[in-house]
Amino acid sequence: MTLRGSWVEAVVAAGAVPASHVPDASLGRGDVEEFTGADPVEAGELRVEPLSDARPLAPAAVCFLDGIEQWRVVGYGGITPIVRAHVAAAVRQRGPDRRLRTVAEATEDVAITRLDRLPAGVRRALEAAGVRVLEFPAEEAGQPARALAAARVEVQKTRTALERRLGEAGLRALAADEWLVVDGVLSDSAALSEHTRALGVVKSHGAQYFEGAELERALTLPDGHRTSVFRPRARGARRDIYSWYVRLWPWEGNDLLYGLLRLEARAHPETIALASPIAAWMRAERAPVATPDRRWDRLLYPIHDVETYLRARAPSDLTSHPASRIPNPGSRFPRTAS
Amino acid sequence: MIERRDPLPSPPLSSPIGRVVATEQKPATPHQFHFWTANETSIGIGAIVRVEGLGAGDSGRVVYGVVTDGFAYSDLATPLHDVVGAQGDPAKAAASPTVRQEIRLWTAAVLRQTPEEPLQPVPLGQVHVATDVDVAQALRMDAYLGGAQPTAIPVGLYTSGGLEAPVYVDADFLLGPEAAHLNISGVSGLATKTSAVEFLLSSIFQHFPPHKGRVAAVCFNVKGPDLCFLDRPGTLDDEDRRRYQRLGVAPEPFQQVRYFAPFKADGVNLNTLRTHPDLVGEVEPLVWGLREVLDYAEVLLNRDDIDAKADAFIDFLADRVVDKEFEDGFGGAHRVVTFADLERLFRSIFDGLELASRGGDSWRTHHIATMRKVRNRLANISTRCKGLVTDDGPSNDLPWGRFADRTVYVVDVANVDPLGQDLVFARVVSQLRERLERRDLGVEAVVVFVDELNKYAPADGPETYVKKMLLDISERGRYLGLVLFGAEQFRSQVHRRVVGNAGTAVFGRMDADELATPGYQVLSPATKIKLATLPIGELMVRHPHFTQPIFVRFPRPAVLRGRDGVERYPPAADLPFEDAVARQLLKLDRRVRPNQVKDLIADRREEDVRRALAHTRQTRPQDALAHFKKQLGGRVAAVPAAARESVPPLNAISDEPY
Ligand SMILES: Nc1ncnc2c1ncn2[C@@H]1O[C@H](COP(=O)(O)OP(=O)(O)OP(=O)(O)O)[C@@H](O)[C@H]1O
Ligand SMILES: [Mg+2]
Repeated sequence: MTLRGSWVEAVVAAGAVPASHVPDASLGRGDVEEFTGADPVEAGELRVEPLSDARPLAPAAVCFLDGIEQWRVVGYGGITPIVRAHVAAAVRQRGPDRRLRTVAEATEDVAITRLDRLPAGVRRALEAAGVRVLEFPAEEAGQPARALAAARVEVQKTRTALERRLGEAGLRALAADEWLVVDGVLSDSAALSEHTRALGVVKSHGAQYFEGAELERALTLPDGHRTSVFRPRARGARRDIYSWYVRLWPWEGNDLLYGLLRLEARAHPETIALASPIAAWMRAERAPVATPDRRWDRLLYPIHDVETYLRARAPSDLTSHPASRIPNPGSRFPRTAS
Repeated sequence: MIERRDPLPSPPLSSPIGRVVATEQKPATPHQFHFWTANETSIGIGAIVRVEGLGAGDSGRVVYGVVTDGFAYSDLATPLHDVVGAQGDPAKAAASPTVRQEIRLWTAAVLRQTPEEPLQPVPLGQVHVATDVDVAQALRMDAYLGGAQPTAIPVGLYTSGGLEAPVYVDADFLLGPEAAHLNISGVSGLATKTSAVEFLLSSIFQHFPPHKGRVAAVCFNVKGPDLCFLDRPGTLDDEDRRRYQRLGVAPEPFQQVRYFAPFKADGVNLNTLRTHPDLVGEVEPLVWGLREVLDYAEVLLNRDDIDAKADAFIDFLADRVVDKEFEDGFGGAHRVVTFADLERLFRSIFDGLELASRGGDSWRTHHIATMRKVRNRLANISTRCKGLVTDDGPSNDLPWGRFADRTVYVVDVANVDPLGQDLVFARVVSQLRERLERRDLGVEAVVVFVDELNKYAPADGPETYVKKMLLDISERGRYLGLVLFGAEQFRSQVHRRVVGNAGTAVFGRMDADELATPGYQVLSPATKIKLATLPIGELMVRHPHFTQPIFVRFPRPAVLRGRDGVERYPPAADLPFEDAVARQLLKLDRRVRPNQVKDLIADRREEDVRRALAHTRQTRPQDALAHFKKQLGGRVAAVPAAARESVPPLNAISDEPY
């Protein structure tokens, strides 16, 4: 077993120019930024429902799934970036003692580049290094900036796949009345989107399902309310799913998206019956608040906890650590960017 | 790559209970480190831990530490966020579906590193609870526990999380010559100061290393019945017995105890609470005459003021007058042995001066005022300490030169006037010192236990003789085998050099105000809290071999508590004069019949009876009654009681020259 990251030394030794650069931090997995539309399920058009009378769902045990990705350009073969990425995901279970314990976790380290663009020696070294190599499309390889954007997509895909795999395994291990709460959409996975006790919690709102008055109703949803349940129109590989919004904190004085979550659960009449209890449950998860994370207005503490857990276990040479102020061993000049 | 894990099972004893962590803010240093444990842990303030280095360059390194502080916190960034999450309702805060991540972080002070060189920061390794062997290593007890001549004295049990290890102090550092003395402080009752010293004395008697010779203890009883029943068994529970066994000390009262107490003012009843008929026989009177007092007259003078002239006059009396044939210069010849003789000398000097010439106010360079002052002081002591100081007659003292191994000499001065207490301390300790210097005390080492040390060596106030003497033992006693065990409630109220020279310091439950004084700055706030709430029977020990103070538990002393003693053996009411005399003679000679004695002394002057009794006691004749009768003299010498008023200081059987 080679030491993590040691393949970097091998490719550098083979002629790659060492580099150390972390492209702008990923904002996490989001929806695609386009209008897709939705069909009403619960009511004729999107309505605002108060949650004051709703009894929160309170499952005895809940598993929370989240993942992280970390990546860094570690070298160039010519002008083709060689990226090292670490993705990790974990399921942490919350039992009657209200504490979280890891029940499953997975990590993967990959190299991302375009092999046919690398000098032969570097390429051979990389192929021999025992690291899984992913390639971005040939057409993105010409421009380093585009190559990086494409590499980033690869990183995200790797992470999504890992999360999905872990989530599906997590479903199989779920106890009879246990729920699985996933950070992000369920509709990636058939198993997740069909399960009776899986819940997707989406906190970035790139996708737009509504226009006009309905959109206004969704985005100005008052604190303590949810929208009626709708069915996002299927796109690409996505599965059939039910969705609804819930507001965790008053947005007035902040921003339209402040405290706004979109929930996903299986497309089934029972979901409609559960929409209010689940929305109330999410509101109950506001405490403890997930500070100091900047997204605390919609980041559930247990999800934050999973992320903290994963970051704590990530390889220290990839995370930005105070020590990263010290130039990387491979760099020729001290880095000036923070 | 996917692994499924189940919640952690509880760790077995040998597995680590914590991990050293170090950050730029809280780094590990050669003397301190931080580690975290599970939230449920047996670790607490005072716990001893072992750190094993695992990293490169650290393997084989073992560090022992003692926990000095503890921290708990969660990932809560500011308290306000808790308020926000709970929407201002504390009840809701407790009901939140998830408990925040939290940490138990501990700070430990390094006790020992192995290897000791090179001295490096504590490795960021795994933390284990200490075993018996670890405790011995951590406290460097291995140096004196084994070997050809071990010098270990059990002091108590280190206890932490179900683990228990005996802690020993080093006799060479407790009783000299390397270091010596012990000081114990703490609040009344809860600190168990007196009890701890009693336990430690019996531990010393049982474990004093043979190569160091013989050892004895002189205990001044200054409070009620505290030390009056050291030879009687007390009540112990099973836990105490178990602790005795674990410490290797037999739970027995002291085998050899000798009690000394002065008389009450009547000169025949003993001034102690050990007067129950079954026990009073073992109390020996402590009676001193002029000679004994004059040698320590400095004690009397500088309680009030230092007066070189008075000193000089006292020296003159001690050197030139007492026990010698002396001409007063007015035609009188004196042989001054007793206070009464001295009083006669004073009278004849003052009368002589008055007759000789008008205005004559000095005698042999001593001014009349100085002489009057000295006379008053001496008269004063013989009145204030009447039962201790005899006006006349022989004295009875501790067995100087015949001290016995593993024997406790209790000197009961609990009810003696402070002036008399000072005199007793001064004389007993000075005698011990001289004898130990000359090596003719009978033992090689003596522990002197002074309770309420703050009274005798206060931090402020005049430099009294007693204070100077206690300072002297503190500073030089260790070479002589003269060891001071002092106890007081407030260490800050005892002279700095006296406590400072105590190689071993013990602390029971402490008063919070006392802990706020500068002397305790070296202790962490958590250690202070622990001291302020220390349960009964638990002590904090500082000893030269221990780099940090250590908490131990000790069993109740196996002797009868003073309070219980006076209940089980209620002190007898004072006997009428004749009965007391009869009782004393009976003690000397079992054949004596009380009625005989009573007849004999029926209308004798009490002074005469006392003197005859003292003489008999000192001579220890075969036939006590006959000797007593002879000393008392013929009935003709008796002076009717009515006549006494007219010649109070005079003594009927002295050979009065005029
Ligand atoms: N090891 C022990 N375990 C439990 N109780 C004890 C222990 N040692 C002493 N005690 C109890 O504690 C009480 C107080 O003890 P002690 O008289 O020694 O305290 P002290 O500090 O000398 O008090 P003071 O300042 O009043 O003289 C006694 O009643 C005794 O029985
Ligand atoms: Mg006491």
